[in-house]
Amino acid sequence: MTDAQPMIEAAGVIKNFRRKTDLAERIAMRVGLAQEPGTVHALDDVSLSIRRGEVVGLVGESGCGKSTFGRAVAGMLPLTGGVVRRNGQDIAKLKGAEARAMRLATQIIFQDPMSSLNPRKKVLEIIGEAPRLHGLVARGGVRNLVEGLMDQVGLDPAMINRYPHQFSGGQRQRIGIARALAVNPDFLICDESIAALDVSIQAQVINLLVRLRQDLSLTLLFISHDLSVVRYISDRVVIMYLGRVVESAPTDRVFAAARHPYTQALLEEIPRIDRRGHRFSSVKGEIPSPMNPPGGCHFHPRCPLAMDRCRVERPMLKQAGRDHAVACHLDGGFGRPKPTLFPTQSTLQAAESGLL
Amino acid sequence: MSEHLLEVRGLRTWFETPKGTVKAVDGVDLTLNRGEILGLVGESGSGKSITGFSLLGLVDPPGKVVEGDIRFQGEDLRAASARRQRALRGNRIAMIFQDPMMTLNPVLRIGTQMIETVQAHEKVSKSEARRRARDALGMVGIPHPEERIDAYPHEFSGGMRQRVAIAIALLHKPDLIIADEPTTALDVTIQSQILSEVQSLTRDLGMGLIWISHDLGVVGQLANKVAVMYAGRIVERGAVDDVLDRPRHPYTRGLLDSLPMENDRGQPLRQIPGNAPPPLNRPEGCPFRPRCARASEACLAEPAETGTAARAWRCFHPLEQTGVFA
Ligand SMILES: Nc1ncnc2c1ncn2[C@@H]1O[C@H](COP(=O)(O)OP(=O)(O)O)[C@@H](O)[C@H]1O
Ligand SMILES: Nc1ncnc2c1ncn2[C@@H]1O[C@H](COP(=O)(O)OP(=O)(O)O)[C@@H](O)[C@H]1O
Ligand code: SF4
Ligand code: SF4
Ligand SMILES: [Mg+2]
Ligand SMILES: [Mg+2]
Repeated sequence: MTDAQPMIEAAGVIKNFRRKTDLAERIAMRVGLAQEPGTVHALDDVSLSIRRGEVVGLVGESGCGKSTFGRAVAGMLPLTGGVVRRNGQDIAKLKGAEARAMRLATQIIFQDPMSSLNPRKKVLEIIGEAPRLHGLVARGGVRNLVEGLMDQVGLDPAMINRYPHQFSGGQRQRIGIARALAVNPDFLICDESIAALDVSIQAQVINLLVRLRQDLSLTLLFISHDLSVVRYISDRVVIMYLGRVVESAPTDRVFAAARHPYTQALLEEIPRIDRRGHRFSSVKGEIPSPMNPPGGCHFHPRCPLAMDRCRVERPMLKQAGRDHAVACHLDGGFGRPKPTLFPTQSTLQAAESGLL
Repeated sequence: MSEHLLEVRGLRTWFETPKGTVKAVDGVDLTLNRGEILGLVGESGSGKSITGFSLLGLVDPPGKVVEGDIRFQGEDLRAASARRQRALRGNRIAMIFQDPMMTLNPVLRIGTQMIETVQAHEKVSKSEARRRARDALGMVGIPHPEERIDAYPHEFSGGMRQRVAIAIALLHKPDLIIADEPTTALDVTIQSQILSEVQSLTRDLGMGLIWISHDLGVVGQLANKVAVMYAGRIVERGAVDDVLDRPRHPYTRGLLDSLPMENDRGQPLRQIPGNAPPPLNRPEGCPFRPRCARASEACLAEPAETGTAARAWRCFHPLEQTGVFA
């Protein structure tokens, strides 16, 4: 499956924002209790490649830059620094028809399908609009195309004339998926696409995504804060913390042999039904503000293994094994595995057969 | 009758709407003792929040508790006067919400708000109230409570705001706390810290805690008992180990099976087919029937609770103790 040229290549991507405020802060600002906001370092030198056909899971806590990264690789954001290449070409330099083709070939599916579906339009228009506007289908063929897509994502084509509010949450997410597929993308970015769905509906939508990936040879960037879902769906997992990638490895390897203390903490805190009476919380402290991140390794104030060096020097991503990169000063810059961190059936088998 | 901290029998809370009667809670039985954590789980719309509101007497019209018995330390809460209910709320029984800003006032220093809360129910001096507020903040793991007590809500992160809301709930050392998905919006490391605090506080203070959640993993790790809700009913309840390791109800089994962690990569996830029924259009008999692989003619009638006070389910064809759901 290794391809000389990655499909997506982000190199040294930097993105700064002026900080967003929440409701409590805006009220406080209005009555003069809070200051105007400053600069957020949402992506701080992020490099990451995605191979054709791969499913990459992007994990991290809120505010670490996952959505920003998704929008950056979709070409929806001007970058502060660095470059995103699609099939080797800098997407910021694409013009006209090439730029349009790139945008159509990359589709994002968001968390809340309701806010991205026009409530006044029927499913027929919602799904059929983009392919019609972009001349991917003749006017007379739209209905046919939409019925086919509805069937493909598990919606009854008889509902083609209904409005979004007449569907359940899971069905709306299927509408969102069908709309994305309507323009024949080869790269899908799922940004917390199943986070708002109930467990039993989540399973249905995950199964759908897995099937579509196979049937349509899609490449997926699967953004989620939920490691248990990411483990199930991804070939490779990338973990971010405060705007930086801290670890990246094939999925089984992350779960069996994570080397970064933050990854290890996340793995330990996944709520699991097979861990009764678990003593919670291996990581102390709060997630620091991306406006004023700690120096050196961003994780050092919360890291149980932090050393002096961690407070002043940023650890760079370093190869710690085949396809396994980690940014941690421990043990010569390769991080440190934590034994029996996450034994599952499949990782144990892989370990026994010498794959890890 | 032995006296439980909380005993709920046959609770029904309905909403009269122009389109019909929404039976949000339609047969809920629960028992909770001091020092115990009950996890109330179910998918959205199953009636978890309305159950919590019903226990506190906080259901707004057109909703109404139409039937059932709610006993708090033996006292009949449905028969209690509005004044008595208000006195119990925020004093003996407290509630924590998913959004801490439901509890916090954005333009008040948290200390000011907490002192007011203490003095609303008890005649104590301002300095004594402030001392209690500070202690409560320390108890929920807020660093430097002596300084932080003078901060405004916006000066706290989401996780810290939720801790403050929990501290406010603890101010009167309540006997019972009802927590409605308070960590659902928080990050996993922050959620974990709060669960850890809550677990030891419940034990140390001898409170009863009802933890509402859609996350079976959280409940499995936190609670002693679980109650699984579906379409307004508790379809299965019992000790955590019994319900999660040996579920009897097909819905519980289906939920557990569909968790990504319980599935092998490369195989399709085991999924429950279909959707939960809309509240105004529930099927006759067992509400899980259209999604259930074990359904038979018998399920056209409504299954009653079977089992004991400690372990019960509502199903005509329960799974064998050790059986695997095919
Ligand atoms: N349009 C924007 N304006 C200002 N700040 C933003 C904007 N988008 C994101 N941010 C900030 O950038 C950081 C990363 O955000 P985001 O990529 O959404 O994180 P995630 O998806 O991992 O939760 C956060 O601190 C967020 O508040
Ligand atoms: N004010 C209301 N009017 C009509 N129906 C309501 C009202 N509030 C809640 N419901 C209904 O009651 C049911 C249970 O709601 P809720 O307890 O909030 O579910 P959960 O907390 O499990 O997600 C839902 O079907 C909801 O639509
Ligand atoms: S670099 Fe230092 S502080 Fe950062 S994760 Fe590694 S040991 Fe911890
Ligand atoms: S009563 Fe019947 S339909 Fe309902 S859960 Fe049991 S077997 Fe299934
Ligand atoms: Mg995001
Ligand atoms: Mg609720």
